[in-house]
Parts: sequence; structure tokens; C-alpha cells
Amino acid sequence: MNSVADLKKDAASDATAAIPAAFFARGELIEGNDAIHRSRDLGVNFATPRIDLNRIVHPRTEVPPLLNVPLAEIIDFLVETGQRITDPNNLFVQSCFDRMCATHILPRGVLENQIKGAAAYLDRRLLNTVVEQNFANPRALDEWVPHQDYTGRRSFVRAFAPRLVHVLPGNSPGVAVKSIAQGAMVKAINLFKMSSSDPFTTVAILRTMADIDPNHAIVKSMSAVYWRGGDDSVERVLYRPQYFDKIVAWGGGDAINNVIKYLGPGFQLVSFDPKTSISMVGKEAFASEETLDIAADLGSADVMILNQEACVASRFIYVEGDHTQADHFCERLHERIVERAAASGDTRPLDMELREQIETMMMMDDEYRVWGRTDGRGCVIRSDEPVEFHPINKTANVVCVPSLDEAMRYVNVATQTVGFYPFDRMADYRDRLASGGAQRIVHLGEAGPSAIGNPHDAMYPLHRFVHWMVHEDGCAA
Amino acid sequence: MSEAVERLTRLVEAKDRYRIPFADLREAQIGAMNERFRERKGQIKLVAHRAREAGITEVRSHEDAVKLLLPHTAYKSYPESWLAQKRWDRLSKWLDTVSTHRVPVDKVSDAGEVDDWIEKLADNGFFVSCSSGTTGKSAMLVASQQDMDWCKTEAVAAYSWGSGVKPAQDRRIFGMAAIAHVARNLATGEAYTAAMQDPNYERFAYPVPPITVGGLTQMVVLRKAIADGTAKPEDIAAFEKISAARQKAVDEAVGITAQAVVAARHSKLHVSGLWAGLYNVAKAVRAMGYSAKDFSPENSIYVGGGLKRAVLPDDYREFVYETFNIQPERSYQNYSMQELHSGMPRCQAGGRYHVPPWVVPLILDQTGDNLLPMIDGEYEGRAAFFDLSLDGRWGGVISGDKISIDFRPCACGSKGPSIRDNIVRYADLKGDDKIGCAGTVDAYVRGVA
Repeated sequence: MNSVADLKKDAASDATAAIPAAFFARGELIEGNDAIHRSRDLGVNFATPRIDLNRIVHPRTEVPPLLNVPLAEIIDFLVETGQRITDPNNLFVQSCFDRMCATHILPRGVLENQIKGAAAYLDRRLLNTVVEQNFANPRALDEWVPHQDYTGRRSFVRAFAPRLVHVLPGNSPGVAVKSIAQGAMVKAINLFKMSSSDPFTTVAILRTMADIDPNHAIVKSMSAVYWRGGDDSVERVLYRPQYFDKIVAWGGGDAINNVIKYLGPGFQLVSFDPKTSISMVGKEAFASEETLDIAADLGSADVMILNQEACVASRFIYVEGDHTQADHFCERLHERIVERAAASGDTRPLDMELREQIETMMMMDDEYRVWGRTDGRGCVIRSDEPVEFHPINKTANVVCVPSLDEAMRYVNVATQTVGFYPFDRMADYRDRLASGGAQRIVHLGEAGPSAIGNPHDAMYPLHRFVHWMVHEDGCAA
Repeated sequence: MSEAVERLTRLVEAKDRYRIPFADLREAQIGAMNERFRERKGQIKLVAHRAREAGITEVRSHEDAVKLLLPHTAYKSYPESWLAQKRWDRLSKWLDTVSTHRVPVDKVSDAGEVDDWIEKLADNGFFVSCSSGTTGKSAMLVASQQDMDWCKTEAVAAYSWGSGVKPAQDRRIFGMAAIAHVARNLATGEAYTAAMQDPNYERFAYPVPPITVGGLTQMVVLRKAIADGTAKPEDIAAFEKISAARQKAVDEAVGITAQAVVAARHSKLHVSGLWAGLYNVAKAVRAMGYSAKDFSPENSIYVGGGLKRAVLPDDYREFVYETFNIQPERSYQNYSMQELHSGMPRCQAGGRYHVPPWVVPLILDQTGDNLLPMIDGEYEGRAAFFDLSLDGRWGGVISGDKISIDFRPCACGSKGPSIRDNIVRYADLKGDDKIGCAGTVDAYVRGVA
């Protein structure tokens, strides 16, 4: 074999050329070149140690290390971690960026901002708010909370520290920071299964934490390893209620199907589902040139979140108007997307299948209109029904509807965020959006931010993570 | 037809057609691709678009040809909603963008169901084949009468070369698979029958209702309705019932076929099908107490496709051969795809698939963007071909297959390019480790695939 592709592969399959990705097992760093893996998107090789399964499972005979560490102390520790993550002298994080550039499709600047943005999550007031929003009585995390019902029966309830496997997503490295914080706040024993496009960030953060205090219970509660998703030799062994209470997984398709077969009594799934976000632009956008500019700019901001790699990034924009109006909107939307794409330095071309579908639409010009080309610099397609492919990589589909009422039928169980313009019509639509399956309705242009501690994926996640333990204490005399 | 195309396609009858080294064909093949391009750029809209985008005005090299290839997905780029809504006007217009000859949209738009649309198109000389689309959408491939005639000649010629069997109307053909009822399959089936079937017997009809395009797309349409949230529970229940009935017919067919093949055991047989079906019939034949000793040593076999995800015991091939008394030299295998109208028969000595002179192999990197060097040696990459025989649509296609191709002579003595017997689909290789928060409603549709 001597194809160009193979020559590259041969060079990279040499362990010295593969990028090292260390593991972390309950407080200890594990290095090694025992296995060579290939990253999902860019096909870059990385080398990991072998997984010592015994070291990443905490025996049930020992209570979780964080159980009796006060939440306030955990939050202090997380806050200090956040400060160290953003410290430019943090070598763990800097070298993580260097490595990640090789395996991740997003440009370095976007990745750095992601992690810095995520570090902002490690703020005392913010973390306290998250806990307060998730638990009616946050004291249940720190103690057995007494309760007496109206019949006089007494009990204590504890939000007991769970054992969690987190299957981390590959598209958004900031999730690692959040998952560590959430796992720590519920005092869980956490095993993070890293993704092939980012087998570095979680360990970099955990090393930063170990650098603060290598013996802290929070550090002893964390492990991070990589295996290829679906690898039976690992998953059949680990995914058992004897070792973990819950599996917290992102995504759908194969990733979730692999997990589902292990679910059963005592081993539950908390899923962060794969989602599609959309926008709705009402006829008010066409009131003036100015409102049209505003709506197009806000729309483009939502399309371009994390360069459209994130679930909150909008892909379909339902515009209330006729073709002429929609075309005006498309033209401006396209300009803004192109500007934002150029500013981020992202020029990834569209993949072959997507390119093909869009180019066919260019042929069918009485049904569709296309602004831009399939060169990865930004593309807008106008149609009368949503296109059947998944618009990604700076591609927006503007769907022309006579009334936003008509757009409600396109909301489905995969719909996450709906950006809305004008804002004063949101209340008229929120019930129908929720009934269709949507989870959030937001001001157009503000798909990213959310009120601190609000539900995610239609649930309060921390409330689902914990093991609700009851101590019944008989009846009051 | 133009001169170079004519010269190369005429080789379908030539005995030594696989013996011509790739280098010797280079000039003629590039010239022929250029002839095709000159004719088609004014006829096939998608090719014209591709040429404009790439700035190609002439095909002077393999690199130029690569820029004009259409990915296999081009033939599934129509919106499925048009199928569901029976928008034959729009689908016909879409078909026109990939067709050489103008699709008579007005004459076919008033069709009822999809099979009716396909029939009306055929009445007008447009033969649409539909891939089974294991992962959802079906490709719609348009072809002309000339293409149908070509398939008939080519299929039998390739079979004869690969199996060493000279067609002499002296066999009884036993198809052991449900065949998609599409124009191309019917044409080749007819040709095999005319060439090989002993006229004293009726050709065995596999006892499973033919799978029409409507049958193939029904699932696709339902899947989309489920995703859109418009499918009613009774719709899904009705589909489940049809699926169960089909499965029952397939299960029962095994026994009926085994009975028939045993009854015909004293004749010279040609059996064909996919491994899973052949294996099941072989098992039933053994259970009835028959095996190699009861069948003619001159029997032949044609197995289409790979395992298609079927799970069989390790010795499934030997088991099938030994049941029907198939000698290795009379086992025919062929590498092709719905997108092409020519096959690559497998040779006996080298066990490799041979590319005929009218098919230009182009080996690409995995993404399908770049041509790998085509010099001495074996190359692994994405298979692309330019089938110069195609009339009704563009002959240049990028497949979903990962292949290893060698431009050096094969052990069988053929000096033309050959492909190793380890072909896999890229789609079967990836997708194991893809996790992200962004996703589509496809992840929420269960059971209809």
C-alpha cells in the first residue's frame, strides 16, 4: 500500500508522532503510549495509556469522598480552579490548546474563547444560583434534612452523592468545565469518558485542580479516560449498577444506542439530547430597512454560535413574508454570516454530501434560491419548506411562511431553542412551541445566554443526578 | 456515439478486453471522457454547473475528469417530502437536472403513486432504477433505452468471462433473492434467461412478491412522517403489519425454493442471490437430506454484493458451494453498483475484480476531493469511476466504497487495473464515536430502518 493517505497514516501511527493524551484516575495522572487512537473529525492519531479499570471505579463499600465536604468548600475550590484555568501561565491548559488544535475542527481562537467562557461558569454567585435553582432545599446536599408530613410521620432526606459516568460531547470543549463543576457540586464520584476530538481538556482541568491540592476530596472524586465510543471491552465491563448509578450522556444516534443497551434497574440514563435550534422572524421585521437590518443581524448571531457547531446555533429561520421580503432578509443575513465567518478565520468547506444537495437546489431555481456558494464562507438557502438536510458549517435555511402559525408544524421533538423576533409575540407562541417539543424560547440573537440555573433539556439536571436517599424515622409521639 | 467512446465500448465483445494495460488506454479514455463531456455539458444541468464551478471546458487529464464527477449522493438529492406529497411535477424536474434527455414533466406529473410515475416515465423512454437505500433515502437513477440494451449485453459478457461458462441455454436458473423490481434488474434478468435458461423449462420464480419502487420508498416516506410528527399510531401499526407479512413470505420462500431446487437436481443449474438467502436455502436442502453428491458438478453460481450485514457462520461459502456442488471455477462474483452500468468480474486465478476498458477507474482520497497518483502499485482510497457506456445520465460517479486498486498485472494474466476483494463502505466504517449536542430528529425515530 502506498497511497498518499497511507503514507500520512504510517507516519502518524508511529507512537512518537501521535499526540500524547494522558488519563486521570481518582486524583492521579496516568501517562503512557499503550494505545493509539484516531480522532473523529480530522483523523489525527493520539496515544493514551491503557485503562486500569479497577482504578476508575470507586468501591461501594466506601462512601463517596466528597460526601461530607461542605458545598461551600467545594464551590471555593471550583472558583479557584476557574481563576487558574484563565491564568496564561497555566501550562496544563496552554498545552491542551496546542494539542487540541490538531484534533478539533474549530480554530484555536474559538476553542480558547470556549474554555475561557466556560471558566466564567466557575463563579461563586453563579454556582450558588445553579444549586438554588436545582434544589428546593440545597441543604439536602450537605445534610440529612428533617421533614415531618401532616400525619406526623418523620423522616430525613438526603441528596446523596451519586456515582456518575459522563459521556462528554466532542463538539464543545466548554462542556468539560461545566460537567466537572456539576459533578463536584452534587458530590458525585465522576468518570468522564472523553471524546476523540477532545481527549485533552478534561484532564487539563483536573490537573489544574490537583495542582491546587492533590489530596483534596474533589480531586479524588474525578477520573477521565478515553475509549472509542461503543468499545464493548470497556463498556460491557463498566456500565453496571454495581459501579455507577447514572450515565450522563450527550448526543444521539450511535453514541446513545451504544449506551441504551446497558440501561436497566439501577443504571439510569440522564440524556442531554441532540438538538436542532431554529428562529422565527415575524412580519414586523419588514417594517423598515432598519428593523430588517436588526433582524438579520440578530439572526446571524444565532446561526453563528460556535460557528454553528453547537446545539443552540440556529439552522432554520422561519420568516413571515412573501418571497420578495424573504429574499431581502436572506441577502442581509448572508452578508452578516459571511462577515462573522471571516472574522473567526473559519474556512472549512462543506462536506461532499451537503455540497451536493445545495448545488442541486441551485439548479432548481424556481423552488429554491441560494445566496453564497458551498465554499464554507457562509451560505443561505431560501425555500418554502425546511430542507431535509442538517444545515451546518455556516449554512442557514430561510423558510418562507405566510404566518408564523404555519411554522409551528415544523417544531418537533428535536427542537431545542427558538429565537424569536419581535420579542412581544413570544408569549403567543410559547405554549404551542412547548407542545410541539421545543425547550426554550428566547429573544432572537440571544440563543446563547440563559438565566443562571435554568432548566436544560427540559429538566433540572443536578436534581436528576443525585441519589435521593430517605431515612424514615417513625411517627411523632 | 463519438469515436473514442465507440471504440472502447465495442470492446465488450473482445476476448482480451481485460488484458489491456491502463497506460495503453490512457489517451483513448481521456479522449472518450472529453467526448462525453462535450456532448453532455449542454444536456445535463448538474454537469454544466459542476463544469462552470470548476472552470473546466475540456477534459484533458484524469484530474479534469475528477472535477466533473458526481457523488453517488447526487442521485438522492431530491427532497423526500416530494415523494410523500406525490409531487411528481417537482420530482420530474429534479430528475431532469441529472438526465441527459429532457424529462417530459407534463406527461408524467398526473401519476398516482410512485410506481405509476415510474411506469409513465418508462413509457416515455426514461428508466428509473432505485437503490434500496439501507440507510434511508433511495437513489433515483435515470437511464435510457440504449442503457437498457447495453446492460443486457454487458451483464452476460461479464458473467461469461468471470465464470468461464459459455451461455448455451442449457441451465435452469434459480434466483434465491427478492429482486428490486426496477428496469435495470428486469433487463439483466431477461438477458440471463435468454442466454442461459433451458427453454424446455420455465424459469423458477422466487416466491416473494417483487419489491417495487413504491415498496422501497414506503419505508422512507413513513420514516419522514414519524420524524415530522405527522405519522399516526395506526400508520405505524399498518406498516409493521406489512413488514411482518413480507418477512413471513421471505421465510416461507426458503422452503419452497429448496423443494424446487431438489426437484430440479438432475438438471444443470445456475443459482444466484445474496449470501444470506443462498445459505438459508442450502441449509434447507441439507435438512431434506440432499447435498453435493445429488447435484451436477457443472452447476454455476452468481453471488451479488457482500454480506450486507447478515451474520452467518464462518464457513458459509463452503457450505453453499458444497450443497449445490459448485466447483470454484464456476463461481462468479462481480463488483458493481447501481450508479454504473458495467460490472467488474472477479477472476479465478487472482481473485480480483477486473475493470473493463470502457470504465475509467479514478482512485480518490477519503473525502473524494483529490485524485491519488495512478502509477504502478496498489492504492487504497475512495472508488470513483467514469462509465463511458452510460447514455441517459452522467457516467462519472464518486462511490461510497473504499477499495484497493492495483495498476499492475494480476495473477490471472490480465494487465488492466484490478480491485482487491476487500471492498467496504465508508459508511460502515465511521459513525462509531460521534457525540455532540447538536443533532437532528433522526435520532428520535425508532424502528423504521
